[in-house]
Amino acid sequence: MTVKVFHAELGTAVTTGLLGLAGMIGASELGHGWTESGPQPGYFPFYVGLILIGASLWNLVAAFLKHRAAHRHAASGGEVEEPFLDRERARRLGVFIAALLAFVVATLTLGIYAGSILYIAWSAWRQGGYRLPLALGVGVAFAVSLYLIFEVIFKIPLLKGPIEPLLGIY
Amino acid sequence: MTMTKAGLLAATAMMLAAPASAQFAPSRPVEFVVASGAGGGTDNFARTIQSVLTRDGIMDNPIVVLNKGGGSGAEAFLYARQNEGDPHKLIFGTNNVYLLPHVAKLAYTTEDLQPVAALALDEFLVWVKADSPYQTVMDLVNAAKDAPGTIPFGGSQSKDTDETLVALIEQTTGADFKYVPFNGGGEVGVQLAGGHVAANVNNPNENVGQWQAGAIRPLCVFAPERMAESEPVSGDMGWHDIPTCAEQGLDITSYQMPRTVWLPAGTDPEVLAYYQDALQKVSESQDWKDYLAKTSQSATFMTGEELAAFIDASEADAVKVFEAEGWTVQ
Amino acid sequence: MGNFDLLMQGFGIAITPMHLMLMVAGVLMGLVVGVLPGLGAPNGVSLLIPLTFTLDPTSAIILLSSMYWGALFGGSTTSILFNIPGEPSSVATTFDGYPMARSGESTRALTLAFMSAGFGALLGVIVITLLAGWASRFALRFGAPEYFAVYFLAFAAFIGMGSAAPAKTLVSLATGLLLASVGMDSVTGSIRLTFGFEDLLSGISFLVVVIGLFGIGELLSTVQEGLRFRGVASRIDLRDVFRTIAELPRYWATYIRSGLIGIWMGITPGGPTAASFMSYGIARSSSRKGAPFGTGRPEGIVAPETADHSAGSCAMLPMLALGVPSSATAAVMMGGLMIWGLTPGPMLFATQPDFVWGLIASMYVSNLIGVVLVLATVPMFAALLRIPFTIIGPMIVAICFVGAYTVSNATFDLWLVLIFGLVGYLFSRLDYPLAPLVLAMVLGHKAENAFHQSMVLSDGSLGIFFANPLVSGIMAVGIALLVLPKLIALGSRFRRRVPVE
Repeated sequence: MTVKVFHAELGTAVTTGLLGLAGMIGASELGHGWTESGPQPGYFPFYVGLILIGASLWNLVAAFLKHRAAHRHAASGGEVEEPFLDRERARRLGVFIAALLAFVVATLTLGIYAGSILYIAWSAWRQGGYRLPLALGVGVAFAVSLYLIFEVIFKIPLLKGPIEPLLGIY
Repeated sequence: MTMTKAGLLAATAMMLAAPASAQFAPSRPVEFVVASGAGGGTDNFARTIQSVLTRDGIMDNPIVVLNKGGGSGAEAFLYARQNEGDPHKLIFGTNNVYLLPHVAKLAYTTEDLQPVAALALDEFLVWVKADSPYQTVMDLVNAAKDAPGTIPFGGSQSKDTDETLVALIEQTTGADFKYVPFNGGGEVGVQLAGGHVAANVNNPNENVGQWQAGAIRPLCVFAPERMAESEPVSGDMGWHDIPTCAEQGLDITSYQMPRTVWLPAGTDPEVLAYYQDALQKVSESQDWKDYLAKTSQSATFMTGEELAAFIDASEADAVKVFEAEGWTVQ
Repeated sequence: MGNFDLLMQGFGIAITPMHLMLMVAGVLMGLVVGVLPGLGAPNGVSLLIPLTFTLDPTSAIILLSSMYWGALFGGSTTSILFNIPGEPSSVATTFDGYPMARSGESTRALTLAFMSAGFGALLGVIVITLLAGWASRFALRFGAPEYFAVYFLAFAAFIGMGSAAPAKTLVSLATGLLLASVGMDSVTGSIRLTFGFEDLLSGISFLVVVIGLFGIGELLSTVQEGLRFRGVASRIDLRDVFRTIAELPRYWATYIRSGLIGIWMGITPGGPTAASFMSYGIARSSSRKGAPFGTGRPEGIVAPETADHSAGSCAMLPMLALGVPSSATAAVMMGGLMIWGLTPGPMLFATQPDFVWGLIASMYVSNLIGVVLVLATVPMFAALLRIPFTIIGPMIVAICFVGAYTVSNATFDLWLVLIFGLVGYLFSRLDYPLAPLVLAMVLGHKAENAFHQSMVLSDGSLGIFFANPLVSGIMAVGIALLVLPKLIALGSRFRRRVPVE
């Protein structure tokens, strides 16, 4: 499956338009008028939302026009529209994003230290082709240096999970 | 009503805890959650306590300071609610803990926090530019009566202690100022020195620099009696030479902002007693007295029933102002 | 020449073995917090404050300010090497610094950045030395309308000359403005656009967004091209450093312009971040020849770095002389000052000359130490790029998330980083400019506040923005910057068309 630039443009324009709409709805609850002491709290978000919707519509139309032109160009024997993501890139990106997501979930449940050990070790092992013990070693070394820099030197507590208290680290 | 309940709770806690105060000791690092950004008044308050606790060996455990100043401090109080019953988190604030929920729709109530102690009272003064025509606070008030809504009065935020005080002056005297909220007392001080506003109600340490330089001068202090004797600050005038507002005919005898320490609700009475004890030691230390003198705040140490009563009274006064101004949210 | 004598006296105070040691320690710690995204100079400095209670105020401020300089230097390092701004003020450095590093010239990019930073700082300190009294009086003239005019000028300088499609620039700008208005609005005291989510109450942190947009977004772009860094691993050669230093005089015009912008924004609280953006924008619009900006132009590194550091040093002046900090770090230091029992204000220069001039003298010395130390780290940082991507990539990811977490200890921010990482990737693939979004997040709310305050003062009349020569002047320059490039473009098109037809 390949994603065309057209689809990406479309999706982005619709998303930013919805964001603008959300801004306008949120702002209209606060009042978006102009009183004698200047604008009400919702004034700026309301009009910024309106501008965002307008600009998104413009982008949407521009994407359609470009798409049609490209189609005509392709029909007359020109180059086909450039893909946004081909299959290979989409796969690579998909794996990376899935790993990112897993890292965030692991961090939220197990804490930053365990999360980053797992994530770094997994990447080095599965994607870098390093041996598992080495990969784990890199992960642990990273977590230990995080601990030293943040908690020992700068006294900033990072997010901890259920494992650290067992080791006597709070 | 909420406060009476919390007060009762605190009072019972005191009675229960008195004989057993050695039972609790923190077993992990204690978080000082500060309801202001780094560098703010509340931040300095918390960090001074941290340094006294550590240096005098009152508390051996490591202390970490977290700044959660978002939403005028609401972030810190929400954090307290999320950590109900956690004995290793102390929350540092002012009167914003119990006043914020009245003026903004927030997902916490004062019952989510338990007052531990108040360690200082910050005074409020009326300040004007040095070359301003107003000699007493009543001159300023009368000018605002003559030309309603034209005299710009600077304050640090919207619906905060500053605007509440300005509203209180208006309600007491019938004057009408034009309140302009800025970001923090320091900024308001400079806006006054630059002549962009006519007056402000800053705390002493927010304006003392400009006063020393003779750019601005105080009119009166909102306290039942004059402030403590001090070295002369500007010319031959010291803090004690500033008249009270009541002396000048403005009928607001007391308006002070407490610096308060709180625990999340639902901790054991021993925990409360432990921290009250530790903070009492802080309040008796020389370092603490130095801090109060340097920042021109008034000393106090309130816990238990006394604190609950203070909070009740202060809350009731403020809510009266909020209602008259139509700021209260349900 | 009173200031000069006082400065010499200050050097006597600043140059002692103890103080030199504090400067080295401060700069080194600053480098660490600067390099780590999220853990910025304000955090670092506030963590050091308790340690300073045992020092005398002069030593304490030397330690803290050295840490600040170190953090400013360190912030540029990750901007250039990984496209992750370590400090908010080094966002603009990524625009040309990262492309230059990617084309294999990381040593040159880093050297350019550090030397410009050092030069900017020097310029700033010289201004403080010579103009202390005048500058603080000038800053007093800035009320709400003047502030708004300054923010307007920063926007105008940056937006006026953009090369991206106007509708996409507008989307980026509007998104940034919307994000900036989430949370408590300090002027009206109302809570905006949180839709009932508690996590949004404190607003969306600019740093978290930047870490996602630039750090994670860039990693995603890297990954889609294969699991390695784009660009060649750089040669590490000390000669490169010297060769770059030798080319610096060529950019004298950029240096002077950026230095002046930085000084101005440091004195009238616009802050280093605004200064670096504005300086970058103006350098871009005033350049006529050569490769376009954003492709690794040296001026694109020189301009924001010089302005960032001259603003950073000049920000000390309003803090000391007026008690108004024009950067977050200065705000923290001011808190320290009060704890040490010193009152910032116009009298500080008169009542505490040893403290003030000791600090100013130390700024010369510690910035020098900073440049030397940070140049010494160039080979080490450049070597980081040679670590295989499958090792360093995930580490950068982890550091990005850790950094975002430390901004306000909120787990919600981890999700924001992920989301903005995707947004950053999408926007850069589809040619949406990211800079307007970032600028809007930095200045949007401040500009709105200043506007609102002006409206309260003027009872809703826009005339207040043209009420005195100062504010009208700034507004006029802003409008000119916004409109002139378009007019010139129109004019040149017209002129070109005539001979053709």
